[in-house]
Amino acid sequence: MQPTGLGLLSLIVFTPLMGALLLMLIPKEQEKLHRYAALGVSVLTFAFSLMLLKEFNGQTFHFQMEEFIPWIKPLGIHYHLGMDGISYWLVLLTTFLTAISIWFSFYVSKRVKLYFICLLILETAMLGVFVSLDMILFYTFFEASLVPMWLLIGIWGGERRTYAGTKFFIYTFAGSIFMLIGIIALANLYGQATNGPISFSIVDIQAAVANGSLWAKAMTLQPWIFWSFAIAFLVKCPAFPFHTWLPDAHVEAPTAGSIILAGVLLKMGTYGFLRFCLPLFPDTIASQVPIIMTLAVIGIIYGAIVAAVQPDWKKLVAYSSVAHMGFVLLGIFSLTHTGLLGGSLQQLNHGISTGALFLLIGLVYERRHTRMFKNFGGLKAQMPIYSAIFLIVMLSSVGLPGTNGFIGEFMAMMGAFEAAYAGAYGLNLGFIVVAGFGVVLAAVYLLYMFQQVFYGKNDNPDNRRLKDIKPWEMAMCGLLLVFVFWGGLYPKTFLQPMEASIGAVRMMAINPVGQRPAWNEKGQEIDADMNLVADGVVIAPAKLHFPLKPPVEENQPEVQVKARFSQDQVIARR
Amino acid sequence: MDASYGLVWLIIGLPVAGFLIQALIGKRLIGNGSGKRLAGALAVLPIASAFGVAVALTMELAKLAPGTREVVVPGFDWIKIAGLNIPFEARVDPLTMMMTLIITGIGALIHLYATGYMSEEKDYSRFFTYLNLFIAAMLILVLGNNLVLMFIGWEGVGLCSYLLIGFWYKDLANAKAANKAFIVNRIGDWGLTLGMFLLFVVLAANADKLGSHEGRFLSYDVILPNIAGILKTMPGVTTAIALLLFVGACGKSAQFPLYLWLPDAMAGPTPVSALIHAATMVTAGVFMLNRLYVIFEMSPVASAIIACIGAFTALFAALVAFGQTDIKKVLAYSTVSQLGFMFIACGVGAYWVGMFHVTTHAFFKALLFLGSGAVIHAMAHNQDMRNYGNLRKYLPITFITMMIGYLAIAGFPMLAGFYSKEAILGYALANNHASIDGMNFSHIVGWVGLGVAFLTAFYMTRMTWLTFFGGQERWKLIPAHAEEHHDDHAHADHDHAHHEDHGPDTHKFFFTDEEMDAQPHEHEHHHALDETHKPHEVPFSMWFPLVILAILSLGGGWVLSNNHLLEEWLYPEGSMSLALTEHPHALPGGLSLMAYSLIAAFGGILVGAFFYWKGLPKKEGWDEANWSPFRRSAKDQFGYDGAMMSAAVQGGGDIGLAMWQGADAGVVDGAVNGVGRLSGFLGGLMGKLQSGFVRQYAMIMLVGVVGLLAAVSYGIYKVGKQPPAVPAVIQEGRPILGASAGGQH
Repeated sequence: MQPTGLGLLSLIVFTPLMGALLLMLIPKEQEKLHRYAALGVSVLTFAFSLMLLKEFNGQTFHFQMEEFIPWIKPLGIHYHLGMDGISYWLVLLTTFLTAISIWFSFYVSKRVKLYFICLLILETAMLGVFVSLDMILFYTFFEASLVPMWLLIGIWGGERRTYAGTKFFIYTFAGSIFMLIGIIALANLYGQATNGPISFSIVDIQAAVANGSLWAKAMTLQPWIFWSFAIAFLVKCPAFPFHTWLPDAHVEAPTAGSIILAGVLLKMGTYGFLRFCLPLFPDTIASQVPIIMTLAVIGIIYGAIVAAVQPDWKKLVAYSSVAHMGFVLLGIFSLTHTGLLGGSLQQLNHGISTGALFLLIGLVYERRHTRMFKNFGGLKAQMPIYSAIFLIVMLSSVGLPGTNGFIGEFMAMMGAFEAAYAGAYGLNLGFIVVAGFGVVLAAVYLLYMFQQVFYGKNDNPDNRRLKDIKPWEMAMCGLLLVFVFWGGLYPKTFLQPMEASIGAVRMMAINPVGQRPAWNEKGQEIDADMNLVADGVVIAPAKLHFPLKPPVEENQPEVQVKARFSQDQVIARR
Repeated sequence: MDASYGLVWLIIGLPVAGFLIQALIGKRLIGNGSGKRLAGALAVLPIASAFGVAVALTMELAKLAPGTREVVVPGFDWIKIAGLNIPFEARVDPLTMMMTLIITGIGALIHLYATGYMSEEKDYSRFFTYLNLFIAAMLILVLGNNLVLMFIGWEGVGLCSYLLIGFWYKDLANAKAANKAFIVNRIGDWGLTLGMFLLFVVLAANADKLGSHEGRFLSYDVILPNIAGILKTMPGVTTAIALLLFVGACGKSAQFPLYLWLPDAMAGPTPVSALIHAATMVTAGVFMLNRLYVIFEMSPVASAIIACIGAFTALFAALVAFGQTDIKKVLAYSTVSQLGFMFIACGVGAYWVGMFHVTTHAFFKALLFLGSGAVIHAMAHNQDMRNYGNLRKYLPITFITMMIGYLAIAGFPMLAGFYSKEAILGYALANNHASIDGMNFSHIVGWVGLGVAFLTAFYMTRMTWLTFFGGQERWKLIPAHAEEHHDDHAHADHDHAHHEDHGPDTHKFFFTDEEMDAQPHEHEHHHALDETHKPHEVPFSMWFPLVILAILSLGGGWVLSNNHLLEEWLYPEGSMSLALTEHPHALPGGLSLMAYSLIAAFGGILVGAFFYWKGLPKKEGWDEANWSPFRRSAKDQFGYDGAMMSAAVQGGGDIGLAMWQGADAGVVDGAVNGVGRLSGFLGGLMGKLQSGFVRQYAMIMLVGVVGLLAAVSYGIYKVGKQPPAVPAVIQEGRPILGASAGGQH
């Protein structure tokens, strides 16, 4: 690929880092200046990312705004950025939530300078993850996000912050070590397959996967390398049984850390599945689906049940994340168009809803310095506006139709149902019937949470003096509420830019050699019906829905007779 | 499409506007309480205007020829992806307009009533916020042109029900009742969602047979004409879809085993009980069965199950009603029982009769609930019938209107309930649609229904006599039994002394002492029900709706059944594929169904009057539960509610705790921490290696360097192995060892 200059994506990714450098120059006594400078930088980043709305073309599945600068040529490692429909909204979500978190962080008064530097570096790392097209670059950003988050938990966290921070760091780091091995293996396989230089470019590797050459001689390695990636992403998601770092990290993290952790960091896991696991391992993915789906379903039920008995407000929401991310996995690994889109949308919705929940909890925590349910009750009369906002966000987390939470969950389940009913990928209806019950349980733990805090009598004298939240806090919540309703009432805005990319990734995962799209085949496109076309000719039809299993077997006359008997009663009146 | 059908958006939009007004500026309108009339008017007007629009639209629709009365009004794209299109569309047809008229008409009356009933409430605007939102959601439920829009409304009304049951949230019991309602409904929604998915899968797989559908697989105008042809070869799938959808109906329409939430829902204000938990929301299940009747009539097995569950629920709830002393609880069980009747009708295939009973029930049950509200209002918010008696002397209008409602539900000839119940029993006894393996369940549920009709007359007589007749004015004779179901407005006792110390309040999070003192002290002037109490009649805004509903309960049944008006409106000739008989030919004993019905109605009334002619017997401590074990077990629903709740709450809590503290902290996380300790141990071993001997360090370094070199040289070896590719790459002017598309050409 031709070297290009730096472009919009680099601007978005590195603005926060530049801001962090700027903050380093400001003397640490100037806390107020630090706050406003950090907010300014994050808002600027958000403004830059808004330019994507204009630049981005949702009709194509190819990477756009690509930037390529040779870096370590002998090893095939380059500075290669690009964006498609999968990363598009995640970048916007990141810049948006970071700005919100920094705004909220005006409450932080301990080591302000370092705090904001950490947040800004974290933003760069997260953005880098979503736009890197070089696997080493991706890995660098992926791991780079750990350090500032670890510091955030470890310095500004609660009582058990050291334990939680260390656990978070080591756990996710251990998971991603496997991915590094997988990355190196893939690059070498690429070298072997093409009989040329190794390459860490995901575009190159995917092209070799699409034409079948990459795995031709290494089919036995495929599941192993798949799992080396999958483990890293499952830990990040987190899926059962790799979730135990999450509640600790969430509970101990400062509010902004929790918002970013739930809102963005977890999405790195599901993003990884969409970016690596689906396109690169088409020959093994079908046989791994039942395993991951099982983990997803267990996560949905298990997270919900454990959430329902938590005495700690934040921990409850943390466990609810396990359940919600289970729905994301459920949708993605249904490998249906509806499910994949639903799962991808659920990522965004979870970022908004759960981010907002942590924000709201943070508002009360700043006031009361406790998160235990036993210290609350009857806040509805005390803080009516706060409780109304909390109610709406809680309902969006419940997945009430009309809010954003519903659309993603519904589509994910619908896709999973379709695959399960058709018996595809070794699934059966048990998966979706059980997963569907997770929606009931979501109501159980979230309504219970609401009841504990807001209903009943306001008996705690410490709460009697609470004022309602301030106007600027309402504005902050209001920004999130906009997306709660926007996502629920007009999800087309969010679905449309993703659709072509998701359609292509699905085909990369399930189609046989010769019908797989490739990111670097510029002649190929995905049309509105999700067919793969090249130069106006359909190469591979979309096959969005499964055909039904043949109805009743011919060799069962008794059933036939009974069926006809019942039909006899259905006589037309005329 | 005629432009005037666009008015349908106005029907939905008006309540939404009302909701926004109440939510955003309601509090400001009310001010210090003087603006309540204005706020109330702004709550009633949108609903009343929506009713006006609905009437106009219905007239418009009636001009079309029967069988062609079906208009889809396009809105905007909602969920639209390849292979699935769920647009925001409205559907105007006889069924939706009928429901719309009930919702807006009865809704407007109940809103009017509520302006009086809630006039002393502090959170006046919050109440009407929820109530207007409910109407909007309910209208989306019926007017939406696809199942997912219906689901928006379905869960939306559930939400409003949750909010309104928990309206007086300071009492935790109310909050728990609200949670129970939402969660039990969610169990139903789980079935409904699965049914929807199954329907979608079946239709999507047959997309080529659907004509022009544009992926709108869940829209009624795609489902209804095509589904019969597609499901013809799949009786098992048909039954599965029907039963899954019915699970949803069981939740919303409070059928056994999911009826549990409805009696508890009486914790909400009485207008809510009338509107949501009697007249409209709980009939959504019956509406859905009518909406998708094509599927249900294709499955005799599902129909039989529906009819049986309806009959069992009707019987069960009627028996439980005998054990209740709370007037609203009696009405709640009576609602559950009547809903059972509606499902009997749908189960035996007489879908229009189900809707007929929905309508008449909406009239007389709303009337009874509002009447009971008037009684409760007059009795200082005491709901216990053991404290009532002889109230006809004090509340003449309430008494007369409630008598009409009571006679209507009891099946007194010529009143609304008589016609619809008669039709249900007639269709049940005369047909055999609800059969499994040739076993005709229709007939069985018909006889059960007749028995329940007798019980209905009996327990309603009990309620009426205990309230209005009997000569005992028992609030003077015995102390109040029941707790008062009213907001208790805990006095904010301002204890200045105790205040957790977190340093100075730099962010101004808390009220200062002065601000606390400046706040208005809430003092509820609540007068208890004691012997000095003198009940008096309710104001105009409350009795006017009673009178209207009484008129409807008097004449509604006759008007709708006369000349097959409703049947022809909903199901014009040729729309049903079932051939049903209207009246049973021969019943045992040579009597006609009419005779049996009259026996049931008058028998129930007479037996009830005999038992409660003089009110309650004093010697049993005024408590029937003391003289009959049946009453005792009926009072707590024969133990069913208790068992379910303790299993769910206690059992669920135990499982959750076990999973959290046992599995999660012990096993899953224990493994993680174990690994951590192991590495700590290994680290300790490694620490011993740090002996300080330079030679040892050098050795380790050497090993490391050799390893690294090996790895790097392997990489270089691989790189060096591909000279043939180089010229091609150079030709294209790319970097020599460029990463891109090396051997792809």
